Amino acid sequence: MNDYVSPVGQGIPRLETRDKITGRAVYADDMSRPDMLVGVIVPSPHAHARITGYDVSAALALDGVAAVVTGVDIGDHKIGPFVKDETALAVGKVRYMGEPVAAVAAVDLETARQAARLIDISYEELPAVFDTDAATAADAPALHEGFADYIKVFEADSDRNAMAIIEIVEGDVDAAWERCAAIVEGSYETQAQCHTYMEPCSALAEIDSNGKITIWSSNQSVFHVQSFVADSLGLPMSKLRCVTPQVGGAFGGKMEQTVQPAAAALARATGRPVKVTLSREQDFEMIRSRHPGKVWMKTGAAADGTLLAREVRIVLDAGAYADDSPGVAGIAALFCRGPYRIENVSIESRPVYTNKLRSGAFRGFGGPQVAIAGETQIDEIADRLGMDPIDLRLKNVVLPGEEWMIGVALNKAGLSECLERVRAACGWDAKRKAVSNGSGRKRGIGLACIPHISGVLTSGAIVRILEDGTAVLNTGAVDNGQGSDTVLVQICAAALGLEVDQVSVATPDTDGSPYNWGTTASRVTYMAGRAVVAAAEDAVAQLKQRAAVMMECAEEDLELRDGGRIGIKGVPEAEIGFRDISGFSHWVAGGPVIGTNSLAYDGPDFDPKRGYLKGFPFGKIGAWIFAAQAVEVEVDEATGRIVPLKVWSAHDIGKAINPTAVEGQIQGGIVQGLGYALCEEMVWDSGRLANPSLMDYKIPGIMDVPPEIDTMLVEDPDEHGPFGAKGVGEPPIVGIAPAISNAVAHATGTRLRRLPMTPERVLRALRG
Amino acid sequence: MEFHGPSTVDEAVSLLAADEDARCLAGGATLVAMMNADLVMPSALVSLRHIAALGGIAADAGGGLRIGAMTTHREVADAAGLDGAHALISETARAIGHPAIRNMGTIGGSIGHGDPQADYPAALVALDASVELRGPDGARAVPAQDFFVDYLETALQPGELITAVTLPPSPAGGFGAYEKFARVEGDYATVSVAAAVAMEAGRCRYVRVALGSCGPIPVRAEDAEARLAGTALADEDVAAAAAVLRDACDPVDDVRGSGEYRMMLVEPLLGRALRAAAAKGGAR
Ligand SMILES: Cc1cc2nc3c(=O)[nH]c(=O)nc-3n(C[C@H](O)[C@H](O)[C@H](O)COP(=O)(O)OP(=O)(O)OC[C@H]3O[C@@H](n4cnc5c(N)ncnc54)[C@H](O)[C@@H]3O)c2cc1C
Repeated sequence: MNDYVSPVGQGIPRLETRDKITGRAVYADDMSRPDMLVGVIVPSPHAHARITGYDVSAALALDGVAAVVTGVDIGDHKIGPFVKDETALAVGKVRYMGEPVAAVAAVDLETARQAARLIDISYEELPAVFDTDAATAADAPALHEGFADYIKVFEADSDRNAMAIIEIVEGDVDAAWERCAAIVEGSYETQAQCHTYMEPCSALAEIDSNGKITIWSSNQSVFHVQSFVADSLGLPMSKLRCVTPQVGGAFGGKMEQTVQPAAAALARATGRPVKVTLSREQDFEMIRSRHPGKVWMKTGAAADGTLLAREVRIVLDAGAYADDSPGVAGIAALFCRGPYRIENVSIESRPVYTNKLRSGAFRGFGGPQVAIAGETQIDEIADRLGMDPIDLRLKNVVLPGEEWMIGVALNKAGLSECLERVRAACGWDAKRKAVSNGSGRKRGIGLACIPHISGVLTSGAIVRILEDGTAVLNTGAVDNGQGSDTVLVQICAAALGLEVDQVSVATPDTDGSPYNWGTTASRVTYMAGRAVVAAAEDAVAQLKQRAAVMMECAEEDLELRDGGRIGIKGVPEAEIGFRDISGFSHWVAGGPVIGTNSLAYDGPDFDPKRGYLKGFPFGKIGAWIFAAQAVEVEVDEATGRIVPLKVWSAHDIGKAINPTAVEGQIQGGIVQGLGYALCEEMVWDSGRLANPSLMDYKIPGIMDVPPEIDTMLVEDPDEHGPFGAKGVGEPPIVGIAPAISNAVAHATGTRLRRLPMTPERVLRALRG
Repeated sequence: MEFHGPSTVDEAVSLLAADEDARCLAGGATLVAMMNADLVMPSALVSLRHIAALGGIAADAGGGLRIGAMTTHREVADAAGLDGAHALISETARAIGHPAIRNMGTIGGSIGHGDPQADYPAALVALDASVELRGPDGARAVPAQDFFVDYLETALQPGELITAVTLPPSPAGGFGAYEKFARVEGDYATVSVAAAVAMEAGRCRYVRVALGSCGPIPVRAEDAEARLAGTALADEDVAAAAAVLRDACDPVDDVRGSGEYRMMLVEPLLGRALRAAAAKGGAR
């Protein structure tokens, strides 16, 4: 039986691919229930206003309307992952244009939309602030008068509309500047990026006669849905069952509440199933975006290229509600040193309330806003010192066994190898020497490095052996389309010695799945994967225990054999298959085999003696991952257009459980990174989002992507990761903008410090 | 809302004339999107889909070309054997949106909408095209240059519809080129330039130029053409012509770029369009 090949390391097609390609995959909006109503949300027409009255009588009088709910009906139940500052429907005040103020359920979409127009809400407008400078000015209106009394899950100082002040200090930057031979300093500005998942937010809620509400929705954590719906409607979690059908992308945008509370409130008000699906425009205006950032940074190095000091001030535009802002600001602070040994750092990061759409989690989670500053300053230092940018980086990169800031140990760190691989693959040394001259179209190549983490918070897994010896895996982890179901099944099958098609995967369902914090932070393969391995090992231990009874031997003498068998060590012919063992356990003795595991990220602690840390909103965080990305570009000096010609991307991932899926993640992240670097930008005209459509907000299409993306996987197994794997989801988006800025500087000598690098901004910069 | 599917132009005209809030429906790519966004709420839709007389591309005996109003962008893009400058219309159609839009949208719908960011208007002006209309008072032809009146406003009168676009014979030795600059592939143009040029012994004997997305209607400047005529299209000639054209522009600031940036694009794109058109002649 040596023809068994472990599923780990195989680039098998994703389990749901066939359903998606043939249109069979069921997303929330594809679902229907008997007697179902359609819900529509009424947005605020003002950026900042007090609600002075509601008149819903005309809407209720319309034929086919079943119910209208407002903030008055659901009550002042505040929600929020870091600061409880928001209600599912506005109560008392609205703080951004597009904020949900009411919801209506009717027999069909047309009637519901018509009713929504008839809901008459009166407002008294208040002064509004649309950027972080205005929001932090001495005379700025307070967006949240009750901020001091809000429940917060972390401790930090705050100042006016700056909801948190996060500080990390190590060494002494002021003393270090004097030892620097090269110092660069600059201000950088980044934009709001829309998640632009293909599937707009959708939820279907149904209530039973005991008042228990079932919610099928598009999300990144079925447990978050349960928690924020419970909080927002004042219900016990036991009255909510949350389920996740297929999800058409999320990228961070569906990590917190979307339309689930409104759907549940309408189901409760009507007693009937209600489905709420946003239009693309409402999704743009109502849900969340990436934080616009303003970063000031200063970096210094000794004459030999040793980086000595970095000082950073980060201001993130959080929009009207905190959402994941303290987390994003904390991670931006943690990553802004870059993956380099810099002994003197002084970092401050502030998320600031403004009267715009809330900002939240988005692939990269604070990394992209600081990478454009940090990684272009490294190139500027190299330039000043006459060093090659890769040589300078190799001299300073963190190495295995070293510590991150605030004393988090790095057990593995494969960044040097990523850099060497990219350098060789892209022909760096020759291309950097080639100087573009003349005018017209100029070529250049640039590079950036990325640090990230993949270990944080909690996960669990249940592996049950079915009567016939096949298995079912349940982790509660939502597959957002990145392929985690497939990868977790591969891990489970490999740990049990089974084939992939002998392991079924359960739909995330709060009634039956073990807790998983979320599909976020590049953590599912690493965290849920670890739980799967341990649960499978628990199942194998139980199988051995049953087999020992059947074979009348000691458990210690038994071994797991490929193909789903347990045998006696050293006796090849003495073995029984899972089918026999499972039949015995189900019908004779021992009971059904149910392997379980639950874990919290257990990496190294912060070291309070190493530096000063204040306001950081996470506990343990780690399983560090690294990447290096290079982009070759052509710059059209007549129009300012940057054309990316090719991308090289090397990733320290521990082990590729499914190399095809890993490459898909890298390629997808790069394309989203190209959009962030070159064309994606949500633009506000005072409080009004000026481009809430795919006609006006542009993401790159297939013709805008370079014909070749060269992905390289650096595999140095992590000692704790499942089969050595770490995460990969976020880093691929992060390095593209700085690598392009560095490539443009190489091609033209012009340095771009504002994203996106649109042709207009490039042309203006080229013309000085 | 009512829906009609007439099979003759006369029927369509009488339906439109009878109800001033009725709209004709061609590919629906724009109209249906506007209805979904509550921007227009027609009382009736008059579908032109079943009117055979509105389809097809045909050459006339004199070398002119007639393109029926319901011809899709894809049909124009794929049209074979178009002579000289006429190929500009195919090149323009290939630059519109992406395949799904080219399969749906029609030339009548595109110009009937009157959006100055669209691709056809500038090309039709550069080709000296005419727009054939039919209304309650009969048929008439309007030069493309006069058909576009203002932003989203055309010479169409109540009850009138577009039946075809006609192109005069291609100027002898003439070739065209369409230079579209957009944020990403498939977006509306930030600026576009349509040029039709005939070269003789390295000098420009005939030239027509029109700009898209540079004002409420396609921008043409006869003085700019006069400045180019007789030249070898050298950098200074292009620069001088661009300066004249810029004076005629009145671009807006929007998410595709500021008006100022659009002005900055006029000269390089004009140069590229003219040289591409001239080069096609050279390749012959
Ligand atoms: C996503 C997207 C991208 C696009 N990109 C581009 C682009 O890059 N470049 C570009 O030029 N265009 C672009 N368009 C527009 C598209 O190419 C069509 O030109 C447009 O949709 C109109 O054509 P239609 O046949 O669909 O007309 P419809 O949507 O059916 O009608 C449009 C208007 O014209 C009127 N109308 C239609 N036919 C006639 C007629 N025969 N006589 C009188 N009035 C008439 C209608 O009443 C309506 O007011 C894009 C559209 C979309 C949706």
